Amino acid sequence: MILTGKHLSRRHFLRGVGTVIALPVLDSMIPAGFGQVAKAATAAAKAPTRLSFVYVPNGIVMNNWTPAAEGADFVLPSILQLLAPYRSQATVISGLINHQANALGDGGGDHARAGASFLTGSHPKKTGGSDIHAGISADQVAAQQIGGATRLPSLEIGLDDNRVVGHCDSGYSCAYTNSISWRGPATPLPPESNPRLLFERLFGDFDPSVSAETRARRANDRKSILDSAREEAGRLARDVGAADRRKLDEYLTTVREIEQRIELAEKSPAPADPGIDKPSGIPSDFGEHARLLYDLQALAFQADLTRIATMVIGREGSVRTYEEIGVPDPHHPLSHHRGRAEALEKLTKINTYHMQLFAHFLERLRTMKEGDGTLLDRSMVLYGCGISDSDRHIHENLPVVVAGGGNGTFAGNRHVRVKENTPVTNLYLSLLDRMGVRADVLGDSTGKLEI
Amino acid sequence: MPPLRPGTLLLVPLALLLFPGCESHSAANGSSVQTAPAMAATTAPAAQPPSAAVAARDVGFAHTIRPFITDNCFDCHDAATQKADLNLEALAGDAQSVVRQREKWELVYDKLRHGEMPPKDQPRPDAGQLGATTRWLAGEFDRQDASAPPSVGHVAVRRLNRSEYDNTVRDLLGVDFHPGDDFPPDDSGYGFDNNGDVLSLSPLLMEKYLKAAEKVARTAVFGVEPLKPSSYTHQPWYIDFDTTKAVKQDYDETGLSMPYALHVMHRFPVEADYDLTSIHRGFMPVGADPCHLGLWIDGKLVHEGYLTARYDGEMNGLYDKFRVHLTAGEHWIAVSILKIYDGLPPAYGGPHPNQSKERVGKSPTEHFVSNLVVTGPYDQVTGPTAASVAKLYRGQPPQGAVTPARVREIVSDLAHRAYRRPVTAAEVDELAGFVARVQREGDSFEEGLCLAIERMLISSNFLFRLERDPAPGAPRPLDPHELATRLSYFLWSSMPDDELLRAADEGRLSTPAAVETQVRRMLQDPRAFALVENFGGQWLQFRALESHTVERKAFQGYTDYTRMSMQRETEEFFRYIIREDRSVFDFVDADYTFLNERLADYYGIPGVKGTEFRKVALPPESHRQGVITQASVLTVSSYANRTSPVIRGKWILENILNAPPPPPPPNVPSLKEEEIGVSKSMREQLEAHRANPVCASCHARMDPLGFGLENFDAVGAWREKIGTFPVDATGSLPDGRTFTGPVQLVSTLKVDKSDFAECIADKLLTYALGRGLTFADRGAVRHISSQLSADDRFSRLVLAVVNTPQFQLRAPAPSPAAPVASAP
Repeated sequence: MILTGKHLSRRHFLRGVGTVIALPVLDSMIPAGFGQVAKAATAAAKAPTRLSFVYVPNGIVMNNWTPAAEGADFVLPSILQLLAPYRSQATVISGLINHQANALGDGGGDHARAGASFLTGSHPKKTGGSDIHAGISADQVAAQQIGGATRLPSLEIGLDDNRVVGHCDSGYSCAYTNSISWRGPATPLPPESNPRLLFERLFGDFDPSVSAETRARRANDRKSILDSAREEAGRLARDVGAADRRKLDEYLTTVREIEQRIELAEKSPAPADPGIDKPSGIPSDFGEHARLLYDLQALAFQADLTRIATMVIGREGSVRTYEEIGVPDPHHPLSHHRGRAEALEKLTKINTYHMQLFAHFLERLRTMKEGDGTLLDRSMVLYGCGISDSDRHIHENLPVVVAGGGNGTFAGNRHVRVKENTPVTNLYLSLLDRMGVRADVLGDSTGKLEI
Repeated sequence: MPPLRPGTLLLVPLALLLFPGCESHSAANGSSVQTAPAMAATTAPAAQPPSAAVAARDVGFAHTIRPFITDNCFDCHDAATQKADLNLEALAGDAQSVVRQREKWELVYDKLRHGEMPPKDQPRPDAGQLGATTRWLAGEFDRQDASAPPSVGHVAVRRLNRSEYDNTVRDLLGVDFHPGDDFPPDDSGYGFDNNGDVLSLSPLLMEKYLKAAEKVARTAVFGVEPLKPSSYTHQPWYIDFDTTKAVKQDYDETGLSMPYALHVMHRFPVEADYDLTSIHRGFMPVGADPCHLGLWIDGKLVHEGYLTARYDGEMNGLYDKFRVHLTAGEHWIAVSILKIYDGLPPAYGGPHPNQSKERVGKSPTEHFVSNLVVTGPYDQVTGPTAASVAKLYRGQPPQGAVTPARVREIVSDLAHRAYRRPVTAAEVDELAGFVARVQREGDSFEEGLCLAIERMLISSNFLFRLERDPAPGAPRPLDPHELATRLSYFLWSSMPDDELLRAADEGRLSTPAAVETQVRRMLQDPRAFALVENFGGQWLQFRALESHTVERKAFQGYTDYTRMSMQRETEEFFRYIIREDRSVFDFVDADYTFLNERLADYYGIPGVKGTEFRKVALPPESHRQGVITQASVLTVSSYANRTSPVIRGKWILENILNAPPPPPPPNVPSLKEEEIGVSKSMREQLEAHRANPVCASCHARMDPLGFGLENFDAVGAWREKIGTFPVDATGSLPDGRTFTGPVQLVSTLKVDKSDFAECIADKLLTYALGRGLTFADRGAVRHISSQLSADDRFSRLVLAVVNTPQFQLRAPAPSPAAPVASAP
């Protein structure tokens, strides 16, 4: 069940039960015409720009990543060689820093900080539980401003089984390593790892046997119970203390958001048929899992269900092993390589494997036509890590590459070296600007990066 | 174990046990949190002590504390050096410093008590002075705690986590399909995923709640919707078999323990028939009898089949299909090759060889079960289950027209249980209104009931455990329903049952005796297994076993069956401690455990046959005692391909000794373990690492504990060598006591029971409250652990937790000025 080749095979997935019960759930979020083939009715309007962030853990072997020359005339080092087919739409950016991941007096925990600060530019508060605090992340700044235009404001995807136990890194709550996407300083967004659940979220669970009338009535029922539950919580919120009110406010906000989504779905044009069957669950093979999640992200972009996504290939400090590519060693301990050739070689293998999966995503986007271009032309996909050399937890000179044309705003085939001490958040401001998102400051940013 | 001396454990500094010469001082340690402090003059409130008391304490401080820290600590922690940002010179003024800077003094106390400070390369302090210092500090802490108003901490409103949600809908509506499996994972804080502060609510989760509410309501009222058959292929891990191994003479005739068997857990959505197809791979020796395989469900053989290899012995792709009726829920399915040596040519040496003359170069172990395909459901059982009917209607489902009064009765009873408190007439009106509206629109009563249930299941009253905040000022006792709810989610991870709810309704939870009766009843209820799964699974970390990676080629004995058996062992062990109300110290040093044949083989314990788990005495030659020698714990505290004395040592410090090491300092490279067993022994490598003084301060505590377990490999099996080096399992405790091997390590750990007593008290209180503990809770932890010196049974521990003010009282919300992160 590996998706390969230049097109998405239809009806390719196992029609698994596993734990699935096929009830028509949340079909109220499925526009009435769904199920019939309906081409995206976006042709007339200007095609939207898409923004995606892909995070890989535990640093990169920078010697095999950073091109020697700057400008357009550079040789792709070994890890980046898989980007050769997309070179004309890819920019390698060297020299960015993620200063908020440094200890700054907080001691150990570089991995947790690297993940939590990468998109937020905020120094995460060291805590094992209560009062977790980082900052809003770049993708969520975009989601809050332009996410309302699509059925889902943003997508958060990750490959890790998040049933982690205990503290995740030196006294930092697991919330910091699980999520790179933060809706607000205290609200990490948990990534979805199960392709089946992601599929259901994107495409619902359409059941042709349910009539449009029944579906409309269910949407109505849902709205009525949500409305009544919201009023009830509003009354409760008046009687509780500040800390509890925060929890109830969170509830009220989310209920309102679901109500809005149902209303939006009633007004929206039907999305395109996803063209694939519902996945049955989490594939046991890592590469297959990653490709499937990338495919679903591409489909979500194509159907314009969302324009903003984050994907965590591995949480910071991941101890995943990669026996399938000849690396039985757990990734995190291996990344403390102490300069040993054998360890560096294995790390390079992991880095290259991740890049190979990323290239699969770019290929998907490139083969998806939209108007007179491709989805890759419309997108900006940032790939990187909050650590460069994991051996000593270096948060400078980060590995960052941006692929895609950004709707004609982003030139490719470049290796750019930025001025020393440029926060990576400056780059995000620059990307957000191209999305039409107004943001002057993000975390520790010092200004928009001209690139 | 030596007998406990009642009353002496609570505050006996470790130093007394280190320096037996100081035992004569132990009489001064009779104080506990609730008894009068040793110094009679110090009972006045901490805030404004009478001057005489202040003077007396200042004298004590000046005589005992100041000289001690001046002599022993100022080398590093004076105003000029301030190592680790600790300036003790600034704290050495007078006794009020211990009031104002309580947290720093608690740290000093901990470091002295655990023998961590002064560091090993410094002269040891005089034992008598050390004892006097820790005793004085402990007495001063108690004095402050006894005189201060009770600080019970504020428990944030808690959202149900995934397992609580699943259990609650099961107990509310008789629906048991684990809707929570589809929810995003809950974050955990302070080691547990029931921490109110980190249990946030994302739009994604709200979407899933809405979805689950409909699915749960319809399943309860109408039964599971008919499903189209579909199939799911399990592809468990398989290994390249080592074909050079000699044929086993004494083998497990079920075949379940063999590496070529297949074991999976599968959750079946509905009660129905299913096709189970096992697909095979590999080769059989030409001329052997057909392969005789067995299909097992939940450990019982339900089907036997025969597969004949192709002419060249190839088995690839051959399959055996069997249809079986299964109940909804999770089942353990296994396919084994029964009697693998039977029928093989005599050269294989099995007990029952066939008479074939042929001999080919293929080993029998090259054949294995590679996949299991589950297809179904067929002939699905339809309609609501008896359990759901009973929960919904408390009797027969209504026939014909349902009167408005009956509707109100039904929704009122459901809401009473769903909200875990009495409901108001207005709430019943609104719920009954949903039923009436749906009926007005022409649908049935049942459709209306579904909508009313959906409404309840997305209510903040259902999804959150709400407790009313008292007015600013003093904490208030929980009302009976809040108390019942805290009890049921603590012990069952679920809602109160009818009996507990009734006790709350009737005001019968107001006395400690009534609460004790309920707690004892609840601990004996099967639902108390939630405590094993959720508390035990996270404290002992065996919940992580399923997602823990093991390099299987290097550890061929670690099959899925082994992993499942390891987890079962620890679960059964914990369940037994609860059910039989055993001593909590059994966790440390039990000389028994629970094994099936697979694990008994693994541990080298003879005489255990079959798949059933049973209590087994641990003989000395097993080298095992207590949880730290159970394979589940040994595995999750290892890397995929090797052991880590560092992780194991840290595990013991955190989970047994209650002395978690601080996080590593900034930019210290982690220990390089890659070369272990290659060029040097692990011990030499770690010793080189500890030569760095920055590393040494913590690793000198962690590593030597972990060394004691080095005879257990990365999957908990016994070994005598690591690579080419013989295992050296000598180690030491932070205070310097030494030991060799796991059994001596356990004996050393159990000498001072108060460490473990405080550790389990700390963990269980954290879990029960759903919040991280602070310094203000340390008195409660010490008080819980002190009760274990008189009665160390598990129920006493639970009751001690339940009886803390932290559990029984609700504090006013912290003032808005407190550093609470604001929502965006």
